[in-house]
Amino acid sequence: MGKFNKKLEELKENNKNPFSVPEGYFDSFPQKLQERISSESPEYYWFARLFQVVKQQFALGFMIVAFAVIAITTVNVVLSDKAESVIDSDLYTRIIEVDASEFSEQHFIDVLLNDEKEIEEQKQKESDLYIYYLVDEDIDYGTLIDEL
Amino acid sequence: MSEYSDKELLELFKDIEKRNFAFNLIVRKYQQKLYWHIRKIVIKHEDADDILQNTFIKVWKSLVGFREDSKLYTWLYRIATNESLTFLKQQKTKYLMPIVDYENQLKETLESDEYFNGDEILRNLHKAILGLPEKQRIVFNMKYFEEMKYDDMSEILKTSVGALKASYHHAVKKIEKYFTED
Repeated sequence: MGKFNKKLEELKENNKNPFSVPEGYFDSFPQKLQERISSESPEYYWFARLFQVVKQQFALGFMIVAFAVIAITTVNVVLSDKAESVIDSDLYTRIIEVDASEFSEQHFIDVLLNDEKEIEEQKQKESDLYIYYLVDEDIDYGTLIDEL
Repeated sequence: MSEYSDKELLELFKDIEKRNFAFNLIVRKYQQKLYWHIRKIVIKHEDADDILQNTFIKVWKSLVGFREDSKLYTWLYRIATNESLTFLKQQKTKYLMPIVDYENQLKETLESDEYFNGDEILRNLHKAILGLPEKQRIVFNMKYFEEMKYDDMSEILKTSVGALKASYHHAVKKIEKYFTED
């Protein structure tokens, strides 16, 4: 292996690069490359150059727009919260008028009386239950009161 | 032309007014080194020319964002190497070729290449190199022909120095075997 390495080194020293290129290739290459770059996507390079020039102004403008958007959004949110808490008086009147007009005075009276009647019935049922219990257990109500 | 260091060239490139000038200097400084690097991988001049153009177009598009974490020289070599490997991969898939057939085709190209002026021993050496696996071939070319430092090769190929040394050792052994069998 060491012998072969030496042979390789000798081979390299005694020989120049065996590959070659067409005449004038390296002289014309930069120009050829420049033409290809220009033709490939001119709009990209135009945009890149423009972007480099206006980058700082663009950043400043973007900051102002972003600040304005945040400020407007914040103000809108605050105002909308207030608006939700206050019911428009016209709307309120209209709701009362429309909804209340569907019920007569007698209807309200009937509903109230009916509610009172139900409460009375409930009380009656409960006192009946107490009486039945006292009767079943043979407890004298007068004695109970005395003991208490 | 050679009075500009890589650092100076990058500084010049940052100035939008001098960008084209700086890029032109970079191309002139590195075109030959990169061309020979590519040529030894793809063998054919026309293919090497295409890959070299693609390499510099990529450099032109990406140089604005170059962060200088690596040296310009190693960065350029990395792009050229990747472009060459991508080309080889495309060629193989394009013609649905097994690796051995593609190696044979490259050897035939070497036989008939009008831009190959080496004698029989050199032709055999390059045929032996073409028989190596792609990455090993690149390592051998960089070390033997371009006399590149292992540290630079490590940065270009993103491989450890130890692995590169081992790769070069195996490559030399395979070439020796080719010569003894031939």
